Amino acid sequence: MAELRFEGVRKDYGEVRALRGFDLEVADGEFLVLVGPSGCGKSTALRTAAGLEEVTEGSIHIGDRNVTDVRPAERNVSMVFQSYALFPHLSVEENIGFGLRARGVKAGRARVKVLEAAELVGCEKLLDRKPFQLSGGERQRVALARALVREPDVHLLDEPLSNLDAQLRVYMRAELKKLHQSVGATMVYVTHDQVEALTLGDRVAVLNQGILQQLGPPDDVYRRPANRFVAGFIGSPAMNFFPGERVDGSLHAGPFVFEGRPNLPERVEVGVRPEHIQVDEGDEGAPAEVQVVEMAGNETYLHLQADKSLVLARVGADVRPEVGSTVRIRANPADAYLFDAETGETLT
Amino acid sequence: MKSNKWRHLPAALLAVVFLLPLYFMLSGSLRQAGLPPPRTPELLPSPLAWGNYERAFELVDLPRYTLNSLFVVAFAVPLTLLTASWAGFAMARLSRRPAGALVALSLIALMVPLTALLVPRFTIFKELGLINTYVPLIAPAIMGTSPFYVLLFYWSFKRIPPELFETARLEGLGPLATWWRVAMPLVRPVTVAVAVLCFVFTWGNFLDPLIYLFDQEKFTVPLGLRALSTLDRTNFPLLLAGSVAATAPVILAFIYVQRYFLQEFRGAGWLGR
Repeated sequence: MAELRFEGVRKDYGEVRALRGFDLEVADGEFLVLVGPSGCGKSTALRTAAGLEEVTEGSIHIGDRNVTDVRPAERNVSMVFQSYALFPHLSVEENIGFGLRARGVKAGRARVKVLEAAELVGCEKLLDRKPFQLSGGERQRVALARALVREPDVHLLDEPLSNLDAQLRVYMRAELKKLHQSVGATMVYVTHDQVEALTLGDRVAVLNQGILQQLGPPDDVYRRPANRFVAGFIGSPAMNFFPGERVDGSLHAGPFVFEGRPNLPERVEVGVRPEHIQVDEGDEGAPAEVQVVEMAGNETYLHLQADKSLVLARVGADVRPEVGSTVRIRANPADAYLFDAETGETLT
Repeated sequence: MKSNKWRHLPAALLAVVFLLPLYFMLSGSLRQAGLPPPRTPELLPSPLAWGNYERAFELVDLPRYTLNSLFVVAFAVPLTLLTASWAGFAMARLSRRPAGALVALSLIALMVPLTALLVPRFTIFKELGLINTYVPLIAPAIMGTSPFYVLLFYWSFKRIPPELFETARLEGLGPLATWWRVAMPLVRPVTVAVAVLCFVFTWGNFLDPLIYLFDQEKFTVPLGLRALSTLDRTNFPLLLAGSVAATAPVILAFIYVQRYFLQEFRGAGWLGR
């Protein structure tokens, strides 16, 4: 195990700049999640760490080694792909032990290590099968066992749960977390799923357009987003945004009015998370027309039209107003996030 | 269920179309020597003249020619598989633009008629002193025998998810080991198909042996058949008996390898998708 460090990494694909001055330090034994929308550069970052892509500028360090120009096989990293990349013509045992054999580990020793890795991920009964005889979850386990068996310095995981159905994904997420706790390896996990990011990561790095937007513990990223992008990307359903207007010492944002917010720049944007919008049928708050009611089991999503603004509210499962009816909505000033409308930076 | 019952019918009809000439070759080879070809299709001649085979083998040294052909095939087919798969693998691992250029070049090369190359090839081999040897017959295999075989491999390797090659790279395999341990096992049916095509092409190659081989003891099977027709031009049963003897190894080889075309391990997840 070792730490992984990106120093000013830039990666260009012709005219397209996938990573721009990317700096990141993953601590020894840390589970770091790289999250961002499609095309944000997260997979590129992972592939540069693996050595599958050369960096245009900057350097990558594993432990105290500068591995920028080191061949992938000599970086001592493993990678789990979204498609698992199991060799279809090899058995599970051969797949897990592939790297050991390629490195000349003797058959007996390799067999012991393969069994250990298989037991660790719970696929020891599948050793004689071929990948096409396995379910998605089983293939996932085999891919993890193959990554673990060599005991690499860093594990790189590229959206490994994306191909699983929703139920299995939740289960495997917990398994992965347990696995990390038991082996304590340095893991970098790429995903576009912010729920995965928040639940799995010791820290979360949010990327957009090749630039690191925020790095911090999941709670920080959720509660104290560094900018409008992070605020909008992290959290499900996404945050509501309204252009803010200062009127007589108070801040008007869509249907909401927040008192006592002096010293704000001229143009601000206000964000309110759907779960922070209070909905009732009393007289307090701004009127809003119910346009869509989405039942989601233990909660309800209300799509509301308030004045000229569209508002999404997340309320309890028992709150089910009629479509077309009018409700009242409020938000606590403490739950409102303020962003500079020009730069998108969070205002404190 | 009804549709299942008839689903093999078109394939069976097509097979009949291709098998009929072979059947008539076989039945024709068993007609009385010296008889002209029948005016209507003859399913089975009566009586069966097995002696045509004996006579064909007496007139020309078919066993020797068969051995010569086998010698050429034994070098040409493995060499073709090696070079065509290497070229296809290298092209498949290139980025889109250079790979596209090479595919275009291969297609252009495919359109050049072989006869257009006869004179320059002959001149080269003559200059090298390789006339009347098997080298000119085997040499095309160094270039994959045909660009078509290279393209077949290229398209097959392209179908393999790149993550498999990337995994091999991360696990410490070099390009040659990746080709041998990852790529080739995943395109086995194509390898067999190319082997069969190359076998058939080399086995049936008439023009090159005709140009390059002068000594009769070096002749390959097609030249032996020509010799047979020269000796007794109108004796069709005899000629057909020779043809059966020349075709049999190809058919036997195909029967032996056809199981590789029909590999069953194609469930979900094959190729990791």
